[in-house]
Amino acid sequence: MKIAVCVSHVPDTATKVNIGPDGKTLDPNGVAFVLNPYDEYAIEEALKTKELLGESEVVVISLGPDVNKETIRKALAMGADGGVLLKDENYRDSYAVAKALAAEIETQGAQLVFFGKQSVDYDNGIVGQLTAEMLGFNCATVAVDFKLDGDKITVEREIEGGKEVVETSIPAVITAQKGLNEPRYASLKGIMAAKRKTIEEKEAAAAENYTEVLGMKKPPEKAAGKIVGEDASAVPELIRLLKEEAKVI
Amino acid sequence: MIIKNNKDEFASYLTDAANFKGAAEAVYFPESEDDIFKLLEMSRAKKTPVTISAARTSLTGSAIPQNGIILSMEKLNKILKIDAERKKVWLQPGVTLADLHEALAERKLFYPPDPTERNCTIGGTAATNASGAKTFKYGATRAFVDSLKIILSSGRKIFIERGKIFADNGKITIPILSGGNLEIVLPDYQMPPVKNAAGYFVKKNMDAIDLFIGSEGTLGVITEIVLRVIDFPEEIVSGVVFFQNERDAFSFVEEAREQSYLSREKKTASEIDALALEFFDSGSLKFLSEDFPNIPPEAEAAVWFEQDVKLSERENITEKWFEAIELNNGDAENSWIAMSLKEREKFKNFRHAVSVKVNEYVASKGLRKVGTDAAVPDGKMRKYFYESKKIIVESGIKFIVYGHIGNSHFHFNMLPENEKEFSAAKEIYAKLCDLAVKMGGTISAEHGIGKLKRDYFLKMCGEKAIRQMAELKKQFDPFLILNPGNIFEKKYLIQI
Repeated sequence: MKIAVCVSHVPDTATKVNIGPDGKTLDPNGVAFVLNPYDEYAIEEALKTKELLGESEVVVISLGPDVNKETIRKALAMGADGGVLLKDENYRDSYAVAKALAAEIETQGAQLVFFGKQSVDYDNGIVGQLTAEMLGFNCATVAVDFKLDGDKITVEREIEGGKEVVETSIPAVITAQKGLNEPRYASLKGIMAAKRKTIEEKEAAAAENYTEVLGMKKPPEKAAGKIVGEDASAVPELIRLLKEEAKVI
Repeated sequence: MIIKNNKDEFASYLTDAANFKGAAEAVYFPESEDDIFKLLEMSRAKKTPVTISAARTSLTGSAIPQNGIILSMEKLNKILKIDAERKKVWLQPGVTLADLHEALAERKLFYPPDPTERNCTIGGTAATNASGAKTFKYGATRAFVDSLKIILSSGRKIFIERGKIFADNGKITIPILSGGNLEIVLPDYQMPPVKNAAGYFVKKNMDAIDLFIGSEGTLGVITEIVLRVIDFPEEIVSGVVFFQNERDAFSFVEEAREQSYLSREKKTASEIDALALEFFDSGSLKFLSEDFPNIPPEAEAAVWFEQDVKLSERENITEKWFEAIELNNGDAENSWIAMSLKEREKFKNFRHAVSVKVNEYVASKGLRKVGTDAAVPDGKMRKYFYESKKIIVESGIKFIVYGHIGNSHFHFNMLPENEKEFSAAKEIYAKLCDLAVKMGGTISAEHGIGKLKRDYFLKMCGEKAIRQMAELKKQFDPFLILNPGNIFEKKYLIQI
């Protein structure tokens, strides 16, 4: 069976981001990019499934500019068999991303597709579901446990205040939540092997955006703290402020 | 200046990371050099011992007093100037290592001395000559301290720049800022030729600044430090390699070490030149497996390595490490290689977590840490490891070993279950120290002596050297008020 994993190349959540001069996009200068953290669980689950099935292949697909190859390379070092870069330098909304991914998954003939439950850049959390719908695949999201038995799939989903177990079957799209597994580190052997694997590059299938980014704004700066005093005499004032201004006691 | 007199308010100042306990009357928090000056004036008049306290991440009790007052440096925590061009940083001693790293990273600069605990202060690391994983390549704190501003217990100030004042014929002349000189007679003992943090640094024709680095606060109060820094590495190759036995791990380390020394000699950037080489035994891995479930269950030892590389050399260097791992039966299939900064930090945490876990374990039993800090010459590394291990195994006490294997420097940590085992562990500790000294090593390669290791240090260098060291302290601190009890017992200050 062919298993596909769709991965996103996103700014590291620990780096400070700036808005570009157009006011609508991120300025990539000085920003460290990483493999989307939720996609690590997706890759791990695909690899585990492959190891379980034996005769199967994991292909990693990413949409974006040339630098996304770094992220594909990491998935290959972890153990994926092949990678595809769907080239597009321009902004795409979730729908347009899903459109291109669905076309590629169809070309690849993959029957089982893993996504991270969302990418931590735009945080829309819908590309997996959209892709499933376009392909006519079943879909289970926010998975914290995944089992495959023949064609039958059992997924434990994280829901508000508890867990839900759903059953479905192949072909399917699964989106991964933290806790699904413990992603492996790339091994030296994996890194060496990854060098021999090729990344196929092709133009991403054209698609129209349904949404448009009008503008981006940074959250307001945090106001400086206030020092009321340094000894016991400041306590009454501190209590008054906590009550009246901060309204926390 | 804030003063805390109520013991309930400063309990945390009376214990350190080794769970060493002390007592004091008050804690003073100077905010300027002038505050320190006044505090010393008062202490001289009343003959009150003053113990300098930084972040108390020490493992030797050096910052914990037995009586007197505590001088906390934590309010003197400003980075005064960063000169990116000259690669120098001026700072107050209370700046933490974590804050310094952050400020430098913004300017693409890097400070290599990397004691595992990042909440330590730069003043603390200078006073103890702290080292860490990166010492294998870059040396200890000593190598990066460019100048020191110091107030002596007399209130007189000195400023020492590296490369300006040298010892001559066992003597050293240090100018006092307000005029006049201090004529200091140096001890004449020999330091072991290994990574070492035991006692005062003394060498023929030594630089005066080295006398203060690692002096554990016994000679003066450091009030300002100038550090040398380097460019931030373009890339760091970092990996954790697992082995099925300790022997293979040692062969791997020896090959990497030899290759590293060779690369430095040849000044090549295209071969293995490790920044860090850290060892973990199977017990350490078991301790860690809770937080790192990916550790292969059959692993009996692991080595974490790092190498700073040019981006263009990343692949070539990774391949070189791969060859070394394969050649020495490392588990290439299950070794970990960091593919991002986040993963690199995780590996660093891997090393940090093990020492934190030991400290927590020991504290949970209400006992004190019994962990060695000995280092031996490289040629004696295996012999020292196996003989030490045999001694502990025979005792039946649980233990784990990890450490800076690049410098042949192990931390054997005994894990006693009760008071009885604790006493036995202390005896083993003494035996392991003796063994290291016998092999030409040191009892303390990085933690220092403080109050916990004085007896072993006395055995290591002999009573004559200790008396000379006490004499040295008296020349700088004739009032005998600064950090009494560190390095040697107080009686040596009185008896001469």
